[in-house]
Amino acid sequence: MADTAGSSVKVRSKQALQDDFLRKAVKFTTERLKNGKRKATEEHGNWEEWRERGRQIRLHTIAHLDYYLNLFADNARKAGAQVYFAKDPAEAVIITREIVREKQARSVVKSKSMVTEELHINHVLEEMDVAAIETDLGEYIIQLAHEPPSHIIIPAIHKNKQQIAEVLSEVAGERLEPDTQVLAGFVRRKLREQFLQAEIGMTGCNFAIAESGSIVIFENEGNARMCSTLPKTQITFMGLERIIPSFEDLEVMATLLPRSATGQKLTAYMSAITGPRRMADGDGPEELHMIIIDNGRSRQIGDPDFQELLNCIRCGACLNVCPVYRHIGGHSYGSVYSGPIGAVLTPALMEDASQWQDIAYASSLCGACWEACPVKIPLHDMLVYLRSRKVESGTSPTAEQVVFKGFNYVMSDHRRMERFLKLGKVGQKLVARDGYIKIKGPLKGWTNYRDLPEIPKQSFRDRWKELQAEVAQQPKPNTMIRDIEQRMRKVLEERSRGGGSRGGH
Amino acid sequence: MYPRVGEAMVRILARYGVQLDFPKVQTCCGQPAFNSGYWDDARASARTLLEAFDDSDFVVSPSGSCTGMIHHYYPKLFEDDPVMLDKALRLKEKTYEFSQFLVNVLGVEDVGATFPHKVTYHPSCHGTRLLGIKDEPMKLLQHVKGLELVPLPDAELCCGFGGTFAVKMSDISGAMVSEKVHNVESTGAEVLVGIDMGCLMNISGNIHAEGKPIRVMHLAELLNEGVSS
Amino acid sequence: MADTNSRQGSGTARAIYASKERQDEWMQYIADRLGRPRITEKPQHPFRGVPDFWREYDLNQEERINLFMSNWTNLGGHAFRMSSMQEVGRFLEDFARETGAQKLLLQRQPELLDLGLPEALKDVECVVWDSSDDDIIDEAAQADIGVVIVDHAAAYTGTIVVLSSPDKGRSTSLLPRALVAVVPASAIEANLGPILKGLDARPKDQLPAGVHFITGPSRSSDIENDLTIGVHGPGIVYALIVG
Repeated sequence: MADTAGSSVKVRSKQALQDDFLRKAVKFTTERLKNGKRKATEEHGNWEEWRERGRQIRLHTIAHLDYYLNLFADNARKAGAQVYFAKDPAEAVIITREIVREKQARSVVKSKSMVTEELHINHVLEEMDVAAIETDLGEYIIQLAHEPPSHIIIPAIHKNKQQIAEVLSEVAGERLEPDTQVLAGFVRRKLREQFLQAEIGMTGCNFAIAESGSIVIFENEGNARMCSTLPKTQITFMGLERIIPSFEDLEVMATLLPRSATGQKLTAYMSAITGPRRMADGDGPEELHMIIIDNGRSRQIGDPDFQELLNCIRCGACLNVCPVYRHIGGHSYGSVYSGPIGAVLTPALMEDASQWQDIAYASSLCGACWEACPVKIPLHDMLVYLRSRKVESGTSPTAEQVVFKGFNYVMSDHRRMERFLKLGKVGQKLVARDGYIKIKGPLKGWTNYRDLPEIPKQSFRDRWKELQAEVAQQPKPNTMIRDIEQRMRKVLEERSRGGGSRGGH
Repeated sequence: MYPRVGEAMVRILARYGVQLDFPKVQTCCGQPAFNSGYWDDARASARTLLEAFDDSDFVVSPSGSCTGMIHHYYPKLFEDDPVMLDKALRLKEKTYEFSQFLVNVLGVEDVGATFPHKVTYHPSCHGTRLLGIKDEPMKLLQHVKGLELVPLPDAELCCGFGGTFAVKMSDISGAMVSEKVHNVESTGAEVLVGIDMGCLMNISGNIHAEGKPIRVMHLAELLNEGVSS
Repeated sequence: MADTNSRQGSGTARAIYASKERQDEWMQYIADRLGRPRITEKPQHPFRGVPDFWREYDLNQEERINLFMSNWTNLGGHAFRMSSMQEVGRFLEDFARETGAQKLLLQRQPELLDLGLPEALKDVECVVWDSSDDDIIDEAAQADIGVVIVDHAAAYTGTIVVLSSPDKGRSTSLLPRALVAVVPASAIEANLGPILKGLDARPKDQLPAGVHFITGPSRSSDIENDLTIGVHGPGIVYALIVG
């Protein structure tokens, strides 16, 4: 799933940081979406309660997935859909190829689906000489430009109007103005033809309702509706974790997802599709094929550190608050999923830790993602767990392992630490000036952007005895002391009873 | 690494009759190793803290992130060792970040300080998100006489320290600290105050390298200076 | 729809992935990973649906109508109150004439057929949804205006809900450039809750193939974050509240 093997987030992000337009575009988009979410959630109110509800519904479903996924498949079949279980991309591709061949399809219209990116379905179709047409405006644009999406919700934020006009003008065979209305109007006309001709419509799925066998798709443009109404055959891909029990539970998701993704009360279209067309219907697909994908998801189940990862509703809120994503954009992550969710999901779905590269390290662990997540996934914790597993696998960089062996040695005994600091104090005499070290040595990652303060001549430890004596003679506001003593005793009492303030809060 | 900060904290708390002890057995909370995934090495360091504070009633730290490490991650770090886990849970119960201790335990919001300068506050990620420190530093700052507190734009954005992240992903970290410093400058503040030395070292390192005339202080330092002058 | 067993493509390579064995294998694997036997009875779901305080949310009919209209308008739609279906008829006539529409598509709903629009609009081709017509989708794609009477509406989000059937095409509210949705005032709920619970309550074989929740016009901000209306679905959307 890491599309640019051999490179790394570190290398790609260095390039991204030099692209001024990209940085401004990413910042502008994420600010807009972040503010939209803030406004929408404040207006709606009681956001924390909604988050907790969403979390509980997702936790419950995953904890009983053998029941709900089974129920979904059975009900979807009763409604007339054909349901397949694909363990990995290879199986999904076999199924897809066969359906495409059977229908003698010449073109397929696709609406947005991150899962199909995991499977590289477009590539598969192209190899079969079948046109795979992305119909989501942003996806269509980047498809024509031969680029991967850079944001889970707004895939083409890295392109400006000029660039988009150039790309579309080539298809139009005439020069199109870099005007949003003109460009969107062209895409509407062009894709309309495709929708009406295509033999197969491919969609993703936001949620799958177990009790009815329905799939639910959220969108703003209408292209997913087109893909699921006009072509005679529909193929819908979904990760096995997309399940929720009922339409009642959907109400919670419909409250959390649009607000978190774009600050909307509800997307322009939310479609609940149950089976293919009824015999007497005038439109809708004659056949509905649902391909349920595992691809590493089931491995998260039963793993206490990562099971919650399956709660994700793919809203992108974590991308919009991530201070790292803000600067480097989606392509730097080099995989299907970017931002905080991508930094966790990409390695988690890959069993072999030696393949993980550095994506889980592209984070300062600030926790903003966890704060923003509508279903409270502790992504910041999961990043640390991934790092720990990488270390356990023995495939972390050797130089780094050596550094931390050194850390272990020095820090496991205070006397060693004191000796180490003494050495440092002596060593730095060569490079420290006016209290700071500017030289670029092994810590040049730091000193490229900052000065390093020198180790103080007298450490806190060194000074401790003197300080204690000085402080004992310091004047105190006596009247306060008794109150304070009482307060501290109270805290101790409450603590021994098992209640009260627990260190910190 | 920053003796002034430790000293300031000791002096402030001493004014309220709180005699702090410094058990020298402690080395480091182990966060750098933990965050990088080297949990065995983190445990080696963290054990010195469990040992050092075994008998203490209260443990006060001038570092939001170290306190966060103890609260949020020590139980996980020692989950397979029942003896150490017990010590870790007890340590968690009694460890406070400096401003939390002052405001929530001692009940002090006005230390009687005077600091007639324009100041802006950077809320450290681990402090605000892991420990829930939102009001305490503000309460303390608001009571300082003469202090003009100006809000920091996009304050909740991480400064880019993240421990080894600053070295490992230095270009990204550099971009983040530049934005933070730009935001600090835009307030016109003379002083940037915070509750975590990691953040402050990161931000001041950049400010110093750029030669900008902004003073970076830990909250304890600011309060201590405010009562000493 | 048809006999799914034979349509499962038995004898095809993909049949194996659709088999009962495969399904059972997966469910057993999941149960094994969860460290317990497979669950085949419905589990207790203490957090089903919305938080309790949200179940209390309610508005009287006037409030619902006003909130719905205000939301619909804020999204870029147009909302009007009509006293009767006759007024709706006149509105449609005016609208078709003023916009120079050439083709109008009506859902096959009696209240719409009773409006006598084909007679009133001589220059406009009036098509009624006909599921037995093989070309009906193309007709819909050529239509300038699609007219539907909605099944439900939700005030809190500004949403209309249409259910598909042989007489109610999914394309009618999707393909034409403009959509006119007739909203019976009594069909407006305070929020989505009752509508979704209603779907849960339906016997499974009575769920239509398509239940579409429409909240304003089709939109996108994919081009430099610039909002554009009417990308694939209708960009011009009218809600006429009757009653």
